[in-house]
Amino acid sequence: MTDTTDPTDGDAERERVSVPSKVELPRLLDFYELQTEDQTQIHEFYDNLRDGRLTTTQCCDCDEIHFPPRIVCPECTGDDLEYVDLPDEGELFAFSEVRDGLPLGLSEHDVPYVVAVVDLGPVRLSGWIDNAAYSDLEIGDAVSLKIVEIDGPTDEERVFYRFEPADGDAK
Amino acid sequence: MTATRNVAIVGGGQTNWGERDATWKDLAQEGGKATFDAVPAIGPENVEGLFVGAVQPERFANQTHVAPLVAELLGIEVTEMTARTELACASGQAALRYAWLAIAAGQLDTALVLGVEKMNLGREYMPEMQSSMSNVLDREFDGVNGLAAPPFFAWYAQRHMHEHGTTREQLSLVAAKNKSNAAKTDFAQFRSAIEPDEVTESPEIAPPLHLYDCSGITDGASGVILMSEEKAREVTDTAAWITGSGQSSMAGNSINNLPSFSGWPQARKASQNAYEQAGIEDPLGEIDIAEIHDCFSISEVIEYEELGFCERGEGGQFIEDGRSRLDGDIAVNPRGGLLGCGHPLGATGVSQALEVTQQFKGEVSRNRQVDDPTTGLIHNLSGSGSVHSVMTLARDPQ
Ligand SMILES: [Zn+2]
Repeated sequence: MTDTTDPTDGDAERERVSVPSKVELPRLLDFYELQTEDQTQIHEFYDNLRDGRLTTTQCCDCDEIHFPPRIVCPECTGDDLEYVDLPDEGELFAFSEVRDGLPLGLSEHDVPYVVAVVDLGPVRLSGWIDNAAYSDLEIGDAVSLKIVEIDGPTDEERVFYRFEPADGDAK
Repeated sequence: MTATRNVAIVGGGQTNWGERDATWKDLAQEGGKATFDAVPAIGPENVEGLFVGAVQPERFANQTHVAPLVAELLGIEVTEMTARTELACASGQAALRYAWLAIAAGQLDTALVLGVEKMNLGREYMPEMQSSMSNVLDREFDGVNGLAAPPFFAWYAQRHMHEHGTTREQLSLVAAKNKSNAAKTDFAQFRSAIEPDEVTESPEIAPPLHLYDCSGITDGASGVILMSEEKAREVTDTAAWITGSGQSSMAGNSINNLPSFSGWPQARKASQNAYEQAGIEDPLGEIDIAEIHDCFSISEVIEYEELGFCERGEGGQFIEDGRSRLDGDIAVNPRGGLLGCGHPLGATGVSQALEVTQQFKGEVSRNRQVDDPTTGLIHNLSGSGSVHSVMTLARDPQ
């Protein structure tokens, strides 16, 4: 062997430092909030949902119904609020179908799925429409509440609301 | 408010926009250099105020406190004001607005407004980008439903068609117009003219919207120099004078608190506010160039109506009649809009203002020059459409 300089020699002598080979998805990136009393002051909304009731806050001072639920009334700044039941049936006000491009934290879900503005009467909210395809639906169609349990990176029990066609026919 | 001093946009520059092999910091430097190069009389040493429009550097580039970072990168020793503005898709116009106010109020004479966004993280990380976009709505109740922008604006398209009879073909005409304008714009992300039929031949992203109805995921930076009248006259003969700036926000960001899914009353209020300041009584008759927020084709249709170019419900007919073309009654998005240029969030409003400035100067690239324009407008919406921002510009100061 001649003593020609091997350009990799320098690399071999370099100290290696490591960063974790996998960075866990932080709970922060999971779209579903923690729902218990020690985490959120609207825990009663989630407690009710866990019991099968979709509710929201109403102001005891000015009667305003809010959605999302609040801890301070945006109408009168009062903080004496109570939880009231929302209808568990509503109408499709607008809808589309997500074909691709799911956000991180939801990307394991199957596409396509229908996402809609549901008019419940007192409030309108966004929600998934399960058991339906875009081409089956029309504005004004009746949808009913369903509640799903969320499995994920926390051991805490979590629930959320969705909707499905009110006739119950899985299409 | 009535401004106390006239303020001019004297010029500016921008990076190429698109999927760039460049970091956030690279883009900021390129955009800053392009701006200073375009205004040779002004260098970093002249900048007293720095306003950086940037929406999600924390998510896209893992970087916060970005205005001081830009000052360092560009060698600016800010003597009066350093600020980063975040108002989702209107962050660039928000930066323009704050710089205008600071100069009008007499706090400073020369400001750099730079919008910067790095959005492309590589195809495999698109879910992270979509996650960041979903956070623009109330994450807990709306973002959780996977509501990045396309399905949300699909609802607007569906409702506008339902309530006003707007057609799928009319949406395609908007996309084809803007993408074809962008074919004449050197920095644009999408520089291919298309025919209306190609819009519905592109993949359906969120029905009724197809890929070509949607603006891009874009890296880019755009900058302009704003100056007081006294200083502006020392550096240029032709500028874009800010004649009005209106903004209207509703107490609603969540789905339940949006008053309409077929219109934007806030855009109407913001534009009326700006028109009043500018003395514009007949927007269609008086405005020559409108750079408006076509994040989706349906957005532009609604904006024709709310900005007062036509009656509510007639936006589809307005594009069908060709009135918003380069050679129409009002040149809407001569640059190519967000649909053609792409939409690097914080840079968009700045680039719109730069287009109007360059149109006034007769400096736009190739054959998209509007004939002798004297009055311009820029418009941005933010997030769910809960906030609208409108700025009017004139070639001659009031
Ligand atoms: Zn109240």
